[in-house]
Amino acid sequence: MQELINAMVEMEEDRFLDLTKELLASGEDPNAIFRAYQEGMAEIGRRFEQNEFFIPELIMAGEMMNDGAELIKPYLDEDAKTVTKTIGSMVLATIEGDIHDIGKNIYGMMMELSGFEIIDLGVDVPVNTIISKIEEIKPDLLGMSGLLTLAFDPMKEVVEKLKEKGLRDSTKILVGGGQFDQTVCNFVGADGFATDAIVGVNICKDWMKA
Amino acid sequence: MEDKQSKFLEDWASAKNVEFDNDAAKEAYLYRANLFKDAIELKKTPDRVPIYSIVTFAPMYVLNVKHKDAMYDANVLGKTYYDFTVKYDLDAANTPVLCSHGPTLDALKYLLYKWPGDGLPDNTAYQFVEKEYMKVEEYDHLIQDPTDFMLKVFMSRIAGNLKPFSKIGTFYGLHEIGLSNSLLISLGAPDVQEAFMALLEASRLHFDWINKLVPHILKTMSSGYPFGSGGAAKVPFDFLGDSLRGTTQLMMDMYRRPEKVLEACERLVPHMVKMGAADAHANGNPLVFIPLHKGADGFMSSAQFEKFYWPNMKAVMLGLIDEGCVPVCFVEGSYNERLDYLTDLPKGKCVFYFDKTDMSMARKKLNDIACIGWGFPVSKILTGTPELVADSTKKLLDEAAGDGGYILGIGCSMDEAKDETLKAFVKTGRDYGRY
Repeated sequence: MQELINAMVEMEEDRFLDLTKELLASGEDPNAIFRAYQEGMAEIGRRFEQNEFFIPELIMAGEMMNDGAELIKPYLDEDAKTVTKTIGSMVLATIEGDIHDIGKNIYGMMMELSGFEIIDLGVDVPVNTIISKIEEIKPDLLGMSGLLTLAFDPMKEVVEKLKEKGLRDSTKILVGGGQFDQTVCNFVGADGFATDAIVGVNICKDWMKA
Repeated sequence: MEDKQSKFLEDWASAKNVEFDNDAAKEAYLYRANLFKDAIELKKTPDRVPIYSIVTFAPMYVLNVKHKDAMYDANVLGKTYYDFTVKYDLDAANTPVLCSHGPTLDALKYLLYKWPGDGLPDNTAYQFVEKEYMKVEEYDHLIQDPTDFMLKVFMSRIAGNLKPFSKIGTFYGLHEIGLSNSLLISLGAPDVQEAFMALLEASRLHFDWINKLVPHILKTMSSGYPFGSGGAAKVPFDFLGDSLRGTTQLMMDMYRRPEKVLEACERLVPHMVKMGAADAHANGNPLVFIPLHKGADGFMSSAQFEKFYWPNMKAVMLGLIDEGCVPVCFVEGSYNERLDYLTDLPKGKCVFYFDKTDMSMARKKLNDIACIGWGFPVSKILTGTPELVADSTKKLLDEAAGDGGYILGIGCSMDEAKDETLKAFVKTGRDYGRY
């Protein structure tokens, strides 16, 4: 199993998939294999935080995790397929007017791999769509992404509307994108901002612990 | 041997081919252009820092012009850019051509971007649609024959009306009478003919557009404003990642087929140089703008930068210098971890505009190497007060202006701006930016 974790962390994709197949064929518990994946992901996250790993490794890790999960799925019990433990839920969207989704997608993937349930509303999402989704499912967190500066105003509008509806205090809000900084975070009225995926994930983990 | 770059820069800064409205305009142009020349050549203790920022839709935003109107009417676009230049009085003007022309894009059924008039609201900036426009099995086509790939594969995918370009035959048969049939027949097919007609119509519209813009561009120069850019190029890794493979795919390619990525990047170098240099020479302006994307801190490790990005970035920059041009890199994101690489470039030949890079570190490391610029956060322009902007501008100048070799500006291509903060920014630069 350690070999599998190492293959994942060393980005040896072929070896990682071969080992998964071998372990499954030899009757290894698929849940144990999946736990090994999570251990691998945790190590990859650590290396990212220590500036040893960057976006290529996050993308490769997500890809390996998905391909591996596909291999494992047929071996899992029906129960195990549907029961997923989450540490929190987040409504995630690229705000209206902005159609960029790469940052949002990498972030969403890292959140899911870290145990969050992500409700991804896509790109160019109108303020009111976000508000009604939050009213409907009352998530723990709201994540709004935007590459363009035109994202600032509609994000601020979302925060204000949540206040009006009395939903602001129950929803922690993270904003992110290339031009975000504390100034913009204050302007929007969010609880935090991030310009890279792992920082954003860690902020949410801390919020869920608090 | 005379240095080609110095000569081109000197020709541009002395406004050799510009006709001016009056002597005052000529004097203003020469003063402004020479501020840039001094900064680029790292002249010690020049008069003051030049002030220049790039914009896309900010002129329309601050002057209350509908973005869609600017993209569909050359005169609206030309006038708005001219008015913006004069009103905010930066030391160099932006070229309106970066906003492109809606009717041309419509005629192509252009798919690579969305714009106001094409599915985006009327007052939005155009936006790139990233997709896997080049499939993984097409690396060899790109490497063997980049131009053939761009014509038959890329163009057929990024423009709905050019789809039949994928059927064009080989040009190599033309060397023998009996072998030229496949090309000629392929071009004769009705759908291919229609695609060519669409391209010709789009080009005709674009030609009309530029002819309507030229008077506005000439008026900008004749009233005393040099243009801040003469052409543009890309680093091959960004070209490949932004427009061909897509970010996610290219990042995986770095692990799955690194040798193909490297080969493709190397193959693209001369094409990137040619693209930048051709426009610069046609416009009589040596400044070639190079936006840098995927080599930034956080995107990849230093080892990956050194292997995949820097060799081709450097090759494009040196190639442009050989052509007499000044590579003007815009470092999006931050380059704190990359500054040491940049010290390897020839002295006083390049410019680096920064976004989030630590400006005092950039000043320290590149002091005798290259002109640096920008570093002012757009967030303060959009959400701050004039007083805050003035204070922050002073702080930035203290950190970054050194004893020359600095261009003051905002670290992004602005789609939006605020009148009073932008004015405070420029005024502070003019007063406090004196050496």
